Amino acid sequence: MEKIEYIRPDTIEEALHLLSNPTTKNKILAGGTDIMVQIRIEPPDYDRFVDISRVPEMKQIKIDNGKFLLGAGLTHEEVASEPSVLNIIPFLAQACSSVGSPQIRNTGTLGGNIGNAAACADSLPVLVCLDAVACLRSESGERMIPVSELVIGPHKTQIGKSELITHFSFPLPPMNTKSRFIKIGRRNSQSISRLSIAAMGKIGEGGLIDFIRICPGAATPQTKRFTDVEDFLVGKPYDDKLFAQAGERMAAKMIEFTGIRWSTKYKEVALKAITERVLREVLSSNISVAYPDNQYPADKDSRI
Amino acid sequence: MKIGFVLNQKNISVDVSPDITLLSLLRDHLHLTGTKVGCEIGECGACSVLLDGKLVNSCLVLVPQVEGREVITIEGVSAGEGEASDLQKNFISAGAVQCGYCIPGMVMAGEALLMKNLHPSRNEIREAISGNLCRCTGYQQIVDAIEITAKERSERK
Repeated sequence: MEKIEYIRPDTIEEALHLLSNPTTKNKILAGGTDIMVQIRIEPPDYDRFVDISRVPEMKQIKIDNGKFLLGAGLTHEEVASEPSVLNIIPFLAQACSSVGSPQIRNTGTLGGNIGNAAACADSLPVLVCLDAVACLRSESGERMIPVSELVIGPHKTQIGKSELITHFSFPLPPMNTKSRFIKIGRRNSQSISRLSIAAMGKIGEGGLIDFIRICPGAATPQTKRFTDVEDFLVGKPYDDKLFAQAGERMAAKMIEFTGIRWSTKYKEVALKAITERVLREVLSSNISVAYPDNQYPADKDSRI
Repeated sequence: MKIGFVLNQKNISVDVSPDITLLSLLRDHLHLTGTKVGCEIGECGACSVLLDGKLVNSCLVLVPQVEGREVITIEGVSAGEGEASDLQKNFISAGAVQCGYCIPGMVMAGEALLMKNLHPSRNEIREAISGNLCRCTGYQQIVDAIEITAKERSERK
């Protein structure tokens, strides 16, 4: 292995300056849980690590003006144990707790999970479900890109060489929204998602579904909300038959995107089943917390 | 590259290439071979150590990342001069050790749990050691050993 240099900036500005250097091939290092594995498989095409794991601004958690902001440098463990996440968007905590093992969750980061862009990244369907936007900064400025567009396909992103994901932001879901993440893996711990699903929703007055979001993970090359299925569900009453129909539509939509693949026989049945399960859980009446007591939204009119 | 950190409660300074792992530093440079080499891709947990009190895979940590931080290895867990700690003794008495290769990592995972929770359920114990693979024991006796230690430590408090 060629010797790789190492540098650790203290601020985002300093990191961006280092990344802007055109003569050095940099690799952003946060938790290192993917990089340190890749480095053993193929020779690195970079000659310097820029370790951003100790930049305090990368770990911010903020709720401001109806928006939730999460620093890209937060570890899975930090996200999963954050009270406001557990209250407002527990499915993100569920996704982060299902990543790897305690060891991996203590080091791996949210930004790394998205930036590495594995098709099976557990936080990806949740952030897409939330309509999260990634803030990409470089020395020449910043741009906000929806996470659904940032990750183009497996291990492919729109992140430029001198750009850093600093944080994710998304609008707060409406009050009383319930959310759930379900993952199917080959074992409980250390498992790579075969398939997952993220959903959030709520039943409005009159017992009709008035808000629903649904996004499967590891199902399509680009992770997207299945808005056709959301539209199909909205305005209808809670009904097991309806969820079964939604499951069929989810599976059909997935095949529309991917065509028939070797895994389709399995994924078609599995996606149908987890769609039904996630809808039942998200839309059942025993709503836990979606911020009633903690009064999170600064902007009461915030609606997605 | 010169890197200073606290290792098992002692300040140390090393001068090594910045692209080696903490695992390699511990074993090959400092000859602390209690930390085991397993998969080297963060799956088996044999190389687990505590970094600022948190359980991590030392095979996935670059040495310069520990600068100024505190590392505890299995050598830092034992009670005094080579004496086994209460947790280690319970591993032995519960029959949790067969080939022994995963045990240093298991003990570190157990310590990481007991540092923040002295009343863990069996499920919480299983979760805490879920990043550590053992091919001999079937895990039950390891869970027993941690459970007994939790009980003893909470009674002592």
